[in-house]
Amino acid sequence: MSVLPLDAADGVTEDPGPPARRRVPEVLRRPGGLLAAGWLLFMVVASLTAPWWRPYGVAEQDLANRLALPSAEHWLGTDPLGRDLLSRIFTAGTEPLLSSAVTVLVAFGIGLPLALIAAERGPRVERVISRVTEVFLALPSTILLLAVIGVIGVRIFIIMAVLGVLISAAVYRVMLGVAQSVRTRLFVDAARVNGLGSLRVNVVHVLPSMATVIAVQAAQLYGIGLLIVAGLAFLGFGPAEPDPSWGFMIQDASSYVFNAPWLMVPTGLVLALTVIAANELADAIAGKAAGEAAPARRRRRSPARTAPLDGAAELAPADPAAVLEVRDLTISVDDGADLVTGVSFALRPGRVLGLVGESGCGKTMTARSLLGLLPDGVSVRGGAIHWRGQDLVGRTEKELSAVRGREIALISQEPMVALDPMFSVAYQLTQPIRRFRGVGRGEARRIAAELLRNVGIVDAERVLGSYPHQLSGGMAQRVCIALALTGEPDLLIADEPTTALDVTVQAEILTLLRALVQDTGLSVVVVSHDLGVVADICDDVAVMYAGAVVESGTTAAVLDAPEHPYTQALLAANPHVPDGVAVPVRLASIPGTVPPPGSWPAGCRFATRCQFAQDQCRSPFPARPAHATGSVLCVRADELADAHVSWDADHVGAAQAPATTPTAGASR
Amino acid sequence: MLAFLARRMAMAIGTVLAAVVISFLLVHATDTSPGAVRLGTNATPERIVAENEALGWNRPLPTQFFDYLGDLVRGDLGTSLIDGRSIAADLADRVPVTASIALFATLLSGVLGVVLGVTAAVRGGRLARLITTGSGVALSLPVFWVGILLVYVLALQLGWLPATGYVPFTVDPVGWFTSLLIPVLALTIGGAAIVARTANAGLRQALAQEHVRTLRAMGTPEWRIRYVHALRFASLPVVSVLGIQFIALFGGSVIIENLFALPGLGQAGQAAAASSDFPALVGVVVVATVVVVLINLLLDLFVAALDPKVRAS
Amino acid sequence: MTALADPTREVHPGEQAPALRVRDLVVRYGSGRRARSTPPAVDGVSFDIAPGETLGLVGESGSGKSTIGKAVLGLQRPTAGTVEVAGQDVTAMSLKQRSRQVADLRVVFQDPYSSLNPARTIGQTLVEPLRLMGVTGAEALARARSGLESVGLPAEAVDRRPAQFSGGQRQRIAIARALVCDPKVVVLDEPVSALDLSTQAQVLNLLADLRDQRGLSFLFIAHDLGVVRFLSQRTVVLYRGQVMETGPAEQVAQQPRHPYTLALTAAAPVPRPAEQAARRAAREAAGFGTAGAASPSVTGCPFVPRCPFSTDVCVEQRPPLRLLDGSLTACHHAERVPRP
Repeated sequence: MSVLPLDAADGVTEDPGPPARRRVPEVLRRPGGLLAAGWLLFMVVASLTAPWWRPYGVAEQDLANRLALPSAEHWLGTDPLGRDLLSRIFTAGTEPLLSSAVTVLVAFGIGLPLALIAAERGPRVERVISRVTEVFLALPSTILLLAVIGVIGVRIFIIMAVLGVLISAAVYRVMLGVAQSVRTRLFVDAARVNGLGSLRVNVVHVLPSMATVIAVQAAQLYGIGLLIVAGLAFLGFGPAEPDPSWGFMIQDASSYVFNAPWLMVPTGLVLALTVIAANELADAIAGKAAGEAAPARRRRRSPARTAPLDGAAELAPADPAAVLEVRDLTISVDDGADLVTGVSFALRPGRVLGLVGESGCGKTMTARSLLGLLPDGVSVRGGAIHWRGQDLVGRTEKELSAVRGREIALISQEPMVALDPMFSVAYQLTQPIRRFRGVGRGEARRIAAELLRNVGIVDAERVLGSYPHQLSGGMAQRVCIALALTGEPDLLIADEPTTALDVTVQAEILTLLRALVQDTGLSVVVVSHDLGVVADICDDVAVMYAGAVVESGTTAAVLDAPEHPYTQALLAANPHVPDGVAVPVRLASIPGTVPPPGSWPAGCRFATRCQFAQDQCRSPFPARPAHATGSVLCVRADELADAHVSWDADHVGAAQAPATTPTAGASR
Repeated sequence: MLAFLARRMAMAIGTVLAAVVISFLLVHATDTSPGAVRLGTNATPERIVAENEALGWNRPLPTQFFDYLGDLVRGDLGTSLIDGRSIAADLADRVPVTASIALFATLLSGVLGVVLGVTAAVRGGRLARLITTGSGVALSLPVFWVGILLVYVLALQLGWLPATGYVPFTVDPVGWFTSLLIPVLALTIGGAAIVARTANAGLRQALAQEHVRTLRAMGTPEWRIRYVHALRFASLPVVSVLGIQFIALFGGSVIIENLFALPGLGQAGQAAAASSDFPALVGVVVVATVVVVLINLLLDLFVAALDPKVRAS
Repeated sequence: MTALADPTREVHPGEQAPALRVRDLVVRYGSGRRARSTPPAVDGVSFDIAPGETLGLVGESGSGKSTIGKAVLGLQRPTAGTVEVAGQDVTAMSLKQRSRQVADLRVVFQDPYSSLNPARTIGQTLVEPLRLMGVTGAEALARARSGLESVGLPAEAVDRRPAQFSGGQRQRIAIARALVCDPKVVVLDEPVSALDLSTQAQVLNLLADLRDQRGLSFLFIAHDLGVVRFLSQRTVVLYRGQVMETGPAEQVAQQPRHPYTLALTAAAPVPRPAEQAARRAAREAAGFGTAGAASPSVTGCPFVPRCPFSTDVCVEQRPPLRLLDGSLTACHHAERVPRP
């Protein structure tokens, strides 16, 4: 009975996720789940049918064979009165197996509707219900059960129903969190706008999304119920002798532990296995096999160096002034598809390079590889990242951490989650300052305040004393920039630094970055999907599509005179027309979607969506130099430029929109 | 912060009040009466009626309830129907036994569980599989069965520890400690398993947070990321599980006290339940609730110290 | 504000009631003392949308634009004010009543990933609103199939589930769900902000086509003035729950009269480096205050702390909306705002 009412680690943190909708449930495909379900089924069937198949009656004594070990007559041995253990164990199973189900049904019968109501009716109702359940949660339920037994006697099904009432508070608490998170999903609002009644919204839309968590918690609770029934019987609150119960059989065994230790084995094992099965079933439903622990230890794979792709090597001329030079970078999922191939670019000190493209084009992977911060299971497969004369590819984690923060720093997309919510701004700034600059606590705090003022925070002292959740998005991003500056880096990688911010705040942050570049000579790599941001802050730009750079050069050259059809299309799709020009009736768009990694077409990867694609586009070809310092990866670029054609607003109307090709990795 | 404290205090008092109301109503809802319990099965109905009258059982319910509350505030829990002893005095001797078992088991579960959970989350691989599988099994084992196993191994086979019995601290501190060791271990096996799972899940979740990437990008040493930042993040669910764990262990000690013949609260509860000793039953429930609520209050303070969001609210 | 029946729109005598009319809408979140001491999320907003017209609702986070959408849809109860759909007051109606009596209002949400129930087929999702309107099985399914075709998806998609579609395709499905029961007004709550540029253009074109084919009215909620300008005839600019400026979309985008509108347009970057450099210089010269620097006074104009044109009168008096060059502007100093 030491098991807590419901495993708090589950359910609360897990996204409910879509329910399984296959014929064979996922649970039963796992060996653990199948085994557990099989054992529980076996126990229920064997217990309920025990009166018909058991070899001996439960009270039938074989006085010659008392406390016997397993034998041909008594497969599991006998008890102190010579009664057959096998017969008694399975006869005893009925009560716990059924009464635990009562607990589960009552607990969910109360807890689940309350959770659904609280989630639906909003904070005021939720507060009232939650307060009441908190009281229930704090009551010592086992001792209350004793009080119930003292009053009504040993009526196990009623007692287990009372337990269900007490535990419903815990069920409510877990289910409330899940129900609330399901209700934030917009399909619930959409159904309500359609006029679906409250009951049907819950039954059709909310409950199915909670199914997994419900099943997990129910299975766990069932196991807890089994332990409690057995525990009560152990205390003597179970069926009266000679009727068997698991708990009392173990109690009995405890008095014979010295002269007949075997006695405690069969009953204990059957009980333990049944509870283990219930918990294993819960785990299997939750989809976490025992060993699915992702290795947190960051391993470093030495990349297999591949030969540079044809023609690509000469594209980015070895720039002696460049501080960063990326050559033929290939990033892949381990044993899987390429995410980025043959990416090359160079960056001079004090310049800002933009990596621009739609989601899934590999720009973020490219940026993260510069710091060696690729996600687990993704690694650099080939190419080189030359940083101040050394190649960062293949460096150990230790070598890289000497570069990180000190030489290359990162600003990430979501400032609100980039800072540790548990520590004050002061701690998060002074800690790296002390590490990088070897100064004391007081000096570090002074530097931190100065850095904050440098990034435009007026009341630096107040911000130092605050915690991340007390900052606005723009303020948090300023703090993140200050943090990135603590190690006085030479290169800043800004991964969509303003995407999560309002447009006026974005303008402020871009202004700040620009000022930092001018004042400190910092080099910056900006990742963005927004060509406007690129136009605002970048000196050079590399346009990426499906894992490759399709066009690069100075920002002015590429954006004012794009040569690649994809760049042209992106610009034409932008609704921000120049001042004084009327908005077009139709925007140019690109049919279809970016093909996911692994299903890129041969030759030009844009060919399937390109207005100008011809047969020659479908076989591989090298990039050619363009825009003085850059390149363009289009076999028809010259031809199109000579003909003065550019991407047109498509005339594909709603009636004849592009043929759809449902993509496997639709969510990028 | 003050508002937070006031709210938690109000909750605590409300919980105790709820425990009193529930157990009081429970006792009065039954068709047995204290007179029948006190006089035993051979008493005539007339004598039972007279006895109930003498006990004040027939007074209006609210009168009895507020009388009880008044006595409770003064620390008087009434007398036992069975042997007439003062319940308060009896329970005062028993609370330390149960509380020390539950507290030891909770602390040990916390330490062991966090170490195992962190190891699983940090090391990964086969060791993590072993820990998660092992904890899955451990939390499924019935505590009384584990207790017998431990007695068999540690007391009977190895002879390291006494099998059962309780030695008061005032008599022999070392004996007191060894007499509690097997019961505490039996409770810890399941408790540590739950804490280990929570710590493992919490730490893995913490290490997947966006801010951990910021720390990595700053070249922060891995030990600092894991044991300062991620562990702090994972500590909140662990602490809240420890709180629930204490309540569960406090209740679960009933069984362990029975098995090891420890004179604790649970044993009193079991005896009162078996003999329908109503005042004793209510007393046990009320005292157990008070202890649990006090420990929860302490944990709330601890959480407030850990989590800046709670402090700010 | 109430008295002005939107003079920016030409009202012909005998014209039918506006497709959507919102009057003096106030929405406060929460309850009790704390809620009363904080400014409302929506503070006295009024607008009309004519049949076939698209009204853009623009503002940054915290402007109340999504709250207005919710209040119009009935997902959020207004504290005060009225919402009328095709002349019928629906303010006090429950969602169920609304769908029975005025099946004219539907919605397309921002996030195509959470707006479709992953457990249900596209067919089930599209048929659901039809069933509630009493359209039976076979006919409902036929309408669902033709609905999918009208947004450029194959009719066979009815048997698939959302996971098999990309973000842009899901948004088409969400549009099909909104249109399958022939509404008159559709609330578009940031329908393209989660999409990539090329897909965004596809969806915007589709919305424009559908509107023109079916004479739909859109309440188009967005944070991007450029996008709003593409789809809308008129624009309402919101700041902290109040209307700052409203007028013809072209006019608001090209010649903003309110300092906040100017700040918004000036901050939106354009993908033309030379033009963008000039815009940046102009924006920096204008001297707008930092966002969220200080909380504004309750009595005056909410934009005061960031406004380079503000004077004492702005702090003391909340400026009323007034007609200026064809736009309604809530600014005491609109005449001083430079023209770009």
